[in-house]
Amino acid sequence: MLIEAVELVKKFDKKAAVDGISLAVAAGESVALLGPNGAGKTTTVNMLTGLSKPTSGKILYNGKEFDSADNAIKREIGVVPQHNNVDRDLTVEENLIVHCKLFGIKDIQKAVLDALNFSGLTDHKEKTADKLSGGMKRRLVIARALLHNPKVLFLDEPTTGLDASVRRTLWSFIRSINKTHGCTVIMTTHYIEEAELLSDHVIIMDNGKIAAEGKTKELKDSIGKFALDIYKENEIETMHFPSRQDAIAALENIDSEARIREVTLEDVYLKITGRRIDA
Amino acid sequence: MNGIRGVLYREMRVLKSRIYRNILASSISPLLFLLAFGYGIGRNSSVGQTGYIDFLIPGLIAMTSMNQSYGISSDINISRFYFKTFDEYLLAPVGRWEIITGEVIYGIIKGLIPVIIIFIYGYIAGMRHIPSLMMVPALLIHLIIFSLLGIAVALKVKNHGDQFAVNAFVITPMIFLSGTFYPVDKMPMVVKYLAHIFPMTYTTSLIRGSVIGTQTSYLLNFGISALIAAGLFWVCMRIMRGMEP
Repeated sequence: MLIEAVELVKKFDKKAAVDGISLAVAAGESVALLGPNGAGKTTTVNMLTGLSKPTSGKILYNGKEFDSADNAIKREIGVVPQHNNVDRDLTVEENLIVHCKLFGIKDIQKAVLDALNFSGLTDHKEKTADKLSGGMKRRLVIARALLHNPKVLFLDEPTTGLDASVRRTLWSFIRSINKTHGCTVIMTTHYIEEAELLSDHVIIMDNGKIAAEGKTKELKDSIGKFALDIYKENEIETMHFPSRQDAIAALENIDSEARIREVTLEDVYLKITGRRIDA
Repeated sequence: MNGIRGVLYREMRVLKSRIYRNILASSISPLLFLLAFGYGIGRNSSVGQTGYIDFLIPGLIAMTSMNQSYGISSDINISRFYFKTFDEYLLAPVGRWEIITGEVIYGIIKGLIPVIIIFIYGYIAGMRHIPSLMMVPALLIHLIIFSLLGIAVALKVKNHGDQFAVNAFVITPMIFLSGTFYPVDKMPMVVKYLAHIFPMTYTTSLIRGSVIGTQTSYLLNFGISALIAAGLFWVCMRIMRGMEP
């Protein structure tokens, strides 16, 4: 396994933000940590990247225990934080150079040129980062995280706050990082569609614990293939069925408005926690 | 050394982008102090055998360069709490001491800008002394101490409000009690003892001694200053080791 976390706990003032989670990620996988705000996703990523120390538990990279002073392992990690933490006073190019220097990249000129090409920011390289749009800033942060060719890329809520079209562009960008460049991707998100589209493996988090995990299809199949949403006065009741025929059969006995659709990860989350992910 | 290079490159680019603002900020306050204290109050007075303006210039150098090098705390504070760029340093495969050293070198460079400006003011105002070579290590230890203090404060505070509290309760009293505008040994006994808590008392004495030749114990003041610098570096390392976003 490329990454293993064993019984990770992180407490803030005695309250556990992450409460004894264990996970394993294989090289080349694309994994989504899915859950609502406050589920413990960012805290988990912070511990896995060395930004935050676990209260207890351990993290292993290729079987070797990791702590934040382990620079050999840190060289293998790229991080795209939730916040677009670019230097607004610096140009796009200078932002990339800072990262190159911090990571001791030898051929800075080539690395920066490649990153600019990959992110489509070549024409904007002399602009200060505060002049970039939200989508461009995001691409800059992602390109910066890839400058040192990390083996694993962590993306914390990569598309939060972006409009739908920019989000789709970034999805293909992230997918190419994983599928074309073979970089392991670990992403946190509270968007169901994003998790389904970009990841092979989903870890559903709730209240600092792992509520469920597995291959995206397996997780969905575990509760059924089709969902029947019944619109009641103040709520939507959802039932799950192994086939469309079963759902249609159930629909015949219902006299209120209803619809049949394919099961999503939201249904898995709802079934496990009793709440919707955006609640 | 990648950490030092990365931090310094970033900070120097930021400084370059704000250089005019920085020069202006370094020019105005010493000019006002020079006008108010030098011409307003001390035009015809002297401290011992030294004319007051000559006495004041090293004090202004100590004060303004301290303000600039300690001022890196605001830059770090903003990059920690607002832009989150400081996390980039923490994620990089570099030693925490490299981050501190990079910031200290930046603090030294930033602190040297007003030194040049105040010397220009001083000579225009009629200062006749030529500084000795001891001014170089005196300024260096002074700027190292206040850069480290700036880093320690920036890394320890939990928000901008805490930062303002440190400025109000520590930095401002230190400026007035450390021999910047008048000699420490002419102050009341209690204040004199209090002044010796502040590192600026020792570094101002060194700077004044090296610039206008007033009597100072180089060995003692350098020794105490070096101990303070070493202590602050240790504090910064301790804070950095336990630091989380």
